[in-house]
Amino acid sequence: MSNTVKKDQEPSKLRSFLSSDTFKGLLPFIGLVVIVVVMNILTQGKILTPKRLRLLLSQVYYPMIVATGVFFVMTLGSIDFTEGSTLGLASIVISKLSFTSIPLAILGGILTGAAIGAINGFFHVKFKLQSFIITICTMFLFRGVCAYLTTETAVPASAAIKALDQNWLKITITVAVLLVAWFLFRFTRIGNDVKAVGSGETAARFSGVKTDRVKFLTFVAAGALTGLAAFVNVIKVGSITATAGNQLETQILISLVLGGLPITGGAKVRFSNIIVGTLMYTVLNNGLVMMGFESQTQQLIKGVIFLLFVALTIDRKALKVIK
Amino acid sequence: MENRVLLVAENIDKRFGITHAVDNVSLTINAGEVRGLIGENGSGKSTFSQMLCGIYSIGGGTFTLDGKVLHCRNQVEANNEGVAIIVQEMGTLSGLTVAENIFLGHEEPFMHLGVKDTRAMNKEAQRLLDEYGFGRIKAGNMIDLYNFEDRKLVEIVKATYMKPKILVIDETTTALSQNGRMELYKIMDAIRADGRTVIFISHDLNEVLTHTDTVSVLRDGEYIATVNTRDVTEDDLKRLMVGREIGSAYYRTDYGEPISGEVVLSVRDVSVPGQIDHVSFELHRGEILGFGGLSECGMHEVGKAIFAASWDRTGSVTLADGTEINSIPTAIAHSIAYASKDRDNESVILNESIRNNIVLPSLGDLANHGLLSGKKLTKFAEKHALDMQTKMQNVGQFVSDLSGGNKQKVVLARWLGKGSDILVLDSPTRGIDVKVKQAIYALMADLRRQGKSIIMISEEIPELLGMADRIIIMKDGVLNGEFLRDPALSEEDLIAKMV
Repeated sequence: MSNTVKKDQEPSKLRSFLSSDTFKGLLPFIGLVVIVVVMNILTQGKILTPKRLRLLLSQVYYPMIVATGVFFVMTLGSIDFTEGSTLGLASIVISKLSFTSIPLAILGGILTGAAIGAINGFFHVKFKLQSFIITICTMFLFRGVCAYLTTETAVPASAAIKALDQNWLKITITVAVLLVAWFLFRFTRIGNDVKAVGSGETAARFSGVKTDRVKFLTFVAAGALTGLAAFVNVIKVGSITATAGNQLETQILISLVLGGLPITGGAKVRFSNIIVGTLMYTVLNNGLVMMGFESQTQQLIKGVIFLLFVALTIDRKALKVIK
Repeated sequence: MENRVLLVAENIDKRFGITHAVDNVSLTINAGEVRGLIGENGSGKSTFSQMLCGIYSIGGGTFTLDGKVLHCRNQVEANNEGVAIIVQEMGTLSGLTVAENIFLGHEEPFMHLGVKDTRAMNKEAQRLLDEYGFGRIKAGNMIDLYNFEDRKLVEIVKATYMKPKILVIDETTTALSQNGRMELYKIMDAIRADGRTVIFISHDLNEVLTHTDTVSVLRDGEYIATVNTRDVTEDDLKRLMVGREIGSAYYRTDYGEPISGEVVLSVRDVSVPGQIDHVSFELHRGEILGFGGLSECGMHEVGKAIFAASWDRTGSVTLADGTEINSIPTAIAHSIAYASKDRDNESVILNESIRNNIVLPSLGDLANHGLLSGKKLTKFAEKHALDMQTKMQNVGQFVSDLSGGNKQKVVLARWLGKGSDILVLDSPTRGIDVKVKQAIYALMADLRRQGKSIIMISEEIPELLGMADRIIIMKDGVLNGEFLRDPALSEEDLIAKMV
């Protein structure tokens, strides 16, 4: 069959490049560079000092682990608002168990997260509740449990677990999580199945994807990763208060969207969204703190940037299909 | 027909990215004329008419209606200028009542100080429905209570009650049963008698020949010709659409070949509440088994039930080796393929590449110790997409960019790639043009010769007569008749069992 595409009268090269997927894919990287440069200028070069960079890095680990799990959930086209309270509750479990045995504490944290993920997944799949609704409910529920467990006093962790606060350990865990997740996403059925559900759930089901199982397991995995992130959190902070993980869910959501993840999920997600997004958020956050903005103003600025990014990167074609 | 020009389209043009959908099309239509607009998928006929109706912005050129240049930004503005359309897909909104749908965008007459007078609106809507002879549809009911066909009838009322100067009917008849079609033809005749105009878009050339005065042909976005309907034959139209001679071998020509005695699939007492009731039949090796009936007779659900895609099916679907098919993954693993009537939702993932659509059911086979190689997937998809002669830029292109015929080719490429032996094809040529239709029929005949078994569910009677070895007719959820392939079999024989 002949391909009768005519090349004449095409819109200008620059304009077609600006609306191309390649450019949209590059946008987050450009955004990262822009944010680093702008923040560096606004803070008179204080961001790019070795001491600051180390501090920046120390704030990246656990959000990046959490973002990896949420990345899969959002690829499904779903959303997860429970990371904050999951992290809080898992941190409490880890701290309590850390007096018995550290491997047991890690396991306990992961299982706590996985259990919350399983609750989300169960209601989402079996009762056909939108993930948005169910995870908001469980967010409040487990935030309440956290508050209850920390009313008397903060929950302390053992000295042994605090002694693990080593950069190499945190880097190893984070890199290992990213590598394993990238491998699963890129080279196994898991990535394909999750993307297929995000792009068109019914058609995916009719193509043999076990959509209910994929969705359930993705929520469990996201919870488990948040549980693991809680371990990294505990060794850093040492004692858990009622505010542990507060607003983590919005931080992760903003990070991933800044990183270029379409909020509709599906075929156009890229694994790099996790890394670029988390770095962007951390630089932005630190820059705003260093520039001396009050926390209300910081929130306002972050909100505006978030809105701009969603408006720029959202896939309107996909929205039409999802309705 | 009067000789007063009603619509002049001058140099109409439209591009979507690099696709030149409508290429400098100029034509004029007279008042009191029913004008057929035909062309293959992707020839630009829908895009052309949707620009006229304000659904798409006009890329270039002008439409002049009754001496006035049109600048419609949406359908409501188009309605006010005297242009209305009935679209190919669902054009009514769920969650609203029938009356609210009919008067969508034209609620002013029923508004008093910003408050809607529901009773007056329902009364007026019911009056219109009764007038059109659709009195069984109740204006105050939610539109969701009605099936696809009834919703189309509501759309017809919505598009015509205000007496538009031009009514565009875009591929609507495929959604309608024989009765519904008759209603539509009557309305078309009434509009003509009234000195107004219809633009009638259809793939069913027979229908175009019987119900239009003139026919305009588009090909690859370009205007080809306008002919007087009474001067041409179906073959002339096909030639104009395709730009070359279409062979007469459209359907199978063989008769009298015996059906193999080897049963590959038995369906026993399969029921789906409200849809089908105790359906039992057997499918043989190398057989094309046709299912026909009115669109609500349950035949579409039979296809889903075999593929284990129904939500609450009882009864059994068993393969020759005794395997029970109880889930979609089991069906696929045991060589059953299914192409849904609802292609865009149930067959293809629109927002995904051709490649990933084709490889999806075969991922298990393509993985090496659980590992997938991107190169291998691309090669696999390319091979099968090209075998099907899919018209595409490359396999990375998104399926949402493809025309209906090419989407169906992607679906077939997927299942041929999977090597399925039992193919359940629901309305395989729905909304597909002549050339691709011919390719699909040839493929089905070829698969049959290879010993594969096909269940073809179809609302097109000629297709059943032309392709099937055996035809089962359904009515109200049960099997109501069975016919063997025979040149003497007529459409009337089948229709008698349908109604």
